[in-house]
Amino acid sequence: MSEARIAVPESAPAGGSSRRRLRDWLAQERVFRLIPFVLVEVVFLFVIIIPFLLMVYISFLKWRANRPFEQAFLSGFGNYEQVLTAPGFWSALGHTFYFAGCAVVLELVIGFVLAMFVSRTVRARGLYITIFLVPMMIVPVVVGYNFTMLYIDSGPINQLLAPFLEPLGIDPRIRWLSDPAAAQWAVILADVWQWTSLTFLIFLSGFSALPKQLINAARVMGATAWQIFWRVELPLLKPAIVIAVVIRSMEALKIFDPVVLLTAGGPGTSTQTIAFYLWEQVWVFNKFSFGAAASILLLIIFATLIFFGIYLLVRQSAAVAQQRAP
Amino acid sequence: MAQIVLKDVVKKFGAHVAVKGVNLQVRDSEFLIMVGPSGCGKTTTLNMISGLERPTSGEIAIGGRVVNDLEPGERGLGMVFQDLALFPHLTVYENIAFGLRVKKVAEREVDSRVRAAAEAMHISPLLAKRPAQCSGGESQRVALARTIVTNPAVFLMDEPLSSLDAKLRVDMRTELKRLHARLKATFVYVTHDQAEAMTMADRIVVMSGGVVEQVGEPLEIYRKPASQFVAGFFGTPTMNFLSGKIESANGGLVFQASNLRQRLAASLPSGLAGRNVVLGVRSEHVTVGANGGTPGKVQLIEPLGAESLVFFEFGGATPLVAKIDPERSLDTGDNLTFDFDPAGCHLFDADTGARLN
Amino acid sequence: MTTPAEMTDQQADSAGARNLRRRRLRIVVRHAILVAWALVILFPIFWMIATSFKESGEWVAWPPHWIPQQPTFKNYSQIFTFDTMQKGVAREATEQPFNVWGPLGDSLLICTVSALIALLLGTFLAYSISRFNVGGKHFRHAILMIRMVPPIVIAIPLLMYYAIMIPLAAETVLGTRIVLFDTRVGVSAIYIATTLPFVIWMMLTFIEEVPYTLEHAARMMGAGRLYTLRRVVLPLVGSGMVVTFLFVFILNWAEFLLALTLTHPDVVTLPVLLNKFQSASEGRLFGPQAAIGTIITIPVVVLGMLIQKHLIRGFSFGTIRK
Repeated sequence: MSEARIAVPESAPAGGSSRRRLRDWLAQERVFRLIPFVLVEVVFLFVIIIPFLLMVYISFLKWRANRPFEQAFLSGFGNYEQVLTAPGFWSALGHTFYFAGCAVVLELVIGFVLAMFVSRTVRARGLYITIFLVPMMIVPVVVGYNFTMLYIDSGPINQLLAPFLEPLGIDPRIRWLSDPAAAQWAVILADVWQWTSLTFLIFLSGFSALPKQLINAARVMGATAWQIFWRVELPLLKPAIVIAVVIRSMEALKIFDPVVLLTAGGPGTSTQTIAFYLWEQVWVFNKFSFGAAASILLLIIFATLIFFGIYLLVRQSAAVAQQRAP
Repeated sequence: MAQIVLKDVVKKFGAHVAVKGVNLQVRDSEFLIMVGPSGCGKTTTLNMISGLERPTSGEIAIGGRVVNDLEPGERGLGMVFQDLALFPHLTVYENIAFGLRVKKVAEREVDSRVRAAAEAMHISPLLAKRPAQCSGGESQRVALARTIVTNPAVFLMDEPLSSLDAKLRVDMRTELKRLHARLKATFVYVTHDQAEAMTMADRIVVMSGGVVEQVGEPLEIYRKPASQFVAGFFGTPTMNFLSGKIESANGGLVFQASNLRQRLAASLPSGLAGRNVVLGVRSEHVTVGANGGTPGKVQLIEPLGAESLVFFEFGGATPLVAKIDPERSLDTGDNLTFDFDPAGCHLFDADTGARLN
Repeated sequence: MTTPAEMTDQQADSAGARNLRRRRLRIVVRHAILVAWALVILFPIFWMIATSFKESGEWVAWPPHWIPQQPTFKNYSQIFTFDTMQKGVAREATEQPFNVWGPLGDSLLICTVSALIALLLGTFLAYSISRFNVGGKHFRHAILMIRMVPPIVIAIPLLMYYAIMIPLAAETVLGTRIVLFDTRVGVSAIYIATTLPFVIWMMLTFIEEVPYTLEHAARMMGAGRLYTLRRVVLPLVGSGMVVTFLFVFILNWAEFLLALTLTHPDVVTLPVLLNKFQSASEGRLFGPQAAIGTIITIPVVVLGMLIQKHLIRGFSFGTIRK
């Protein structure tokens, strides 16, 4: 019986043997393992790598979209020079880091405290988790839109403030989005509202993974709650903290949607983030080669950060793997 | 038929050589057990027979046919895994039927063969359940039923009993042996438990560090271990080992170590005199309280029921252990005298560990 | 100070009572903070839903109406109308694309198809990475990098690629003009590429929970690789695939920047539609906008709640012990 089975590959009938041979070839481990790899790489090649090379080429051209592409001519590093001397680029970059910094710190602190409280709560725990995770699911554009409704001069925020402002003789119908500082914080708070849910989620999974015996052991040895928190829980939560910081920082630096919806970069350029700035340069002013050069510079800045971020993640997951091993 | 021949089989994982040239013949319908400590290469060898690993060099033949380039499924084997590898998403019935379905056996035959296999393993009532609902012993039977249903000529087993508790494991040993007698198939079984190997095997292959140390029947391995490693691996309590030197005295040979002087069997070649050796003696070959023996002092008594173990020191590097009658009134701190049965003395080369007598 | 041993019963009692009171206070404060944040989260959502039921006069009334005083379905009937030339609708929004059906269809189609393709490709690659270590030790991290690149940096070359390069190349090679700009295929392609890293990461966590020996067992019984994959591996990671699909669907559903930059005017996804309302600064249509916001939000929030438990695991990036 076993011999008959073994004989099959050699004595396959001639008809359809090429299909069979193809199938056998594909089933070999060295071929089989590479099929999905090649497919995915092809997707990346056509959708990301070729466009990227194109962008590098365009960044050396002097070209605006209102002229035909064929007439564009090489201008060397001219575009890069323009980008580096454009004040808008630097201020947009500054705003981006400012927004990201403020938002991520707030998200980390609030997310951590909420996760800690929820993990120690028994009653209504599931309800809290469900509610706290809702913002993550909401389309960012809707979040931006929601906040414009809250911030408008006859909106609920002003109504809540009215009892405090009216006695002072101030008209409570403040136009929040017309003031640079307030508009900036409007963007930051919209981001915090939405993405604290993610830091909460990461920290919550961190808290629920804490080894209970270790904390009980510390308690038996007479450690106070405060000592347990600083000496036991916080060090064990380090991986979760690193993950939250890296992921949120990377995402926050991309901030675009709430800016478009809330302030459209204004008033003035006070809420222009780098994503918004580039979008405006390319899609509104048609400065394609300028945009390409700026993108490449941006990519260099980001690649450094990303590399650093990934390095932290890898080191952290290696540390976790080590902890897990006996 | 289904004898298996391994010729100079080597397996490297990168720079690490897991199997260093194994030559082995598994006879048709024999119960062969490969035993050794973890990392000795026994599981890798089994996986090369199964086809899950490819040998780096060497040749494997099953039933006279070289199978190096055949897929595992084409080799006509059945295998039981350490974690049993029951498919959690399928019922017990579908688990057993899996191999038949792969081979596109007709539905009616599948049904009758699955039911027959379940009947044979006494798991008919479980057929509709999922593996997660079965107990450890039941899962074990399901895994066996799944393997026997395709009537393989060779059964490979990779520590299949290690997940069971102690009592069930002993029961399953008997059951496996009975199964082997009934099926008359070739069994290749891997374990690190020497007791399992002793009780079930027709022949035992002892492996260590990627090499075969000894192949033989259980009692042969127990009585004439080929190396110090094999001697230490089999038997509880572990064999007593003493380092010393062989000297010749009044026509015979004696073993001399610190304050111990042991007469050796007369059959030994006199050429051994003057060599540095390790003397091994099992606890049952140590007689305690015999006249004219070496003095020692009791450290610890371990009563086992049918007999007791007595651990005592005598001035050597390590204490010795002897099996005694549990009725003997010895107590910790008591003085005793002891002697070795010359027929139970094993001599190993001090450097290579190879057997000398 | 007294040590516990020296305490009289009375002292012990009062200390215990004090501890109990303190613990109760702590629990109350904890719940107060949690409830406060829950309100912060629910309020904007509540406001949107309330606005979606308000008549146009109530949209920007001062003081604002917290609850619609004359609840109406007018906003919904406006966006779900089949006849854009209907009276009353045309008066307020002649130049606006008002109908939600087209964008809803585009969004559903693009998100579903691209999530399915990404799921298929990503699952296979995750399997290959997990079992054969394809791409080497750091491949999975290299893939994550793609996700971290800001989408605007991808959008600029893609625009030129879709709008200029591909038409040019197609014309010279094939003789016909193929444009990916403003097409569903174009948007889907970039969605597949940007969500693949997520699929791979999430599926890796699920696939690595399937023991190798199951596949070995199947192969010992003569099953081929594809058979093993289909009958053993896929059923075991099936629920993981559903979760991953839903997650990727939500990501695509929410995506705005790439849809905004790579389409106009034919293909419109829901976020882009919402933005079109917003850009019309004169006489903002808060009611219909809120209605659109509500219908975009509700399904994904429901889906999100369904996969909530799995998200906690998927987002742990290996920090959770089993």
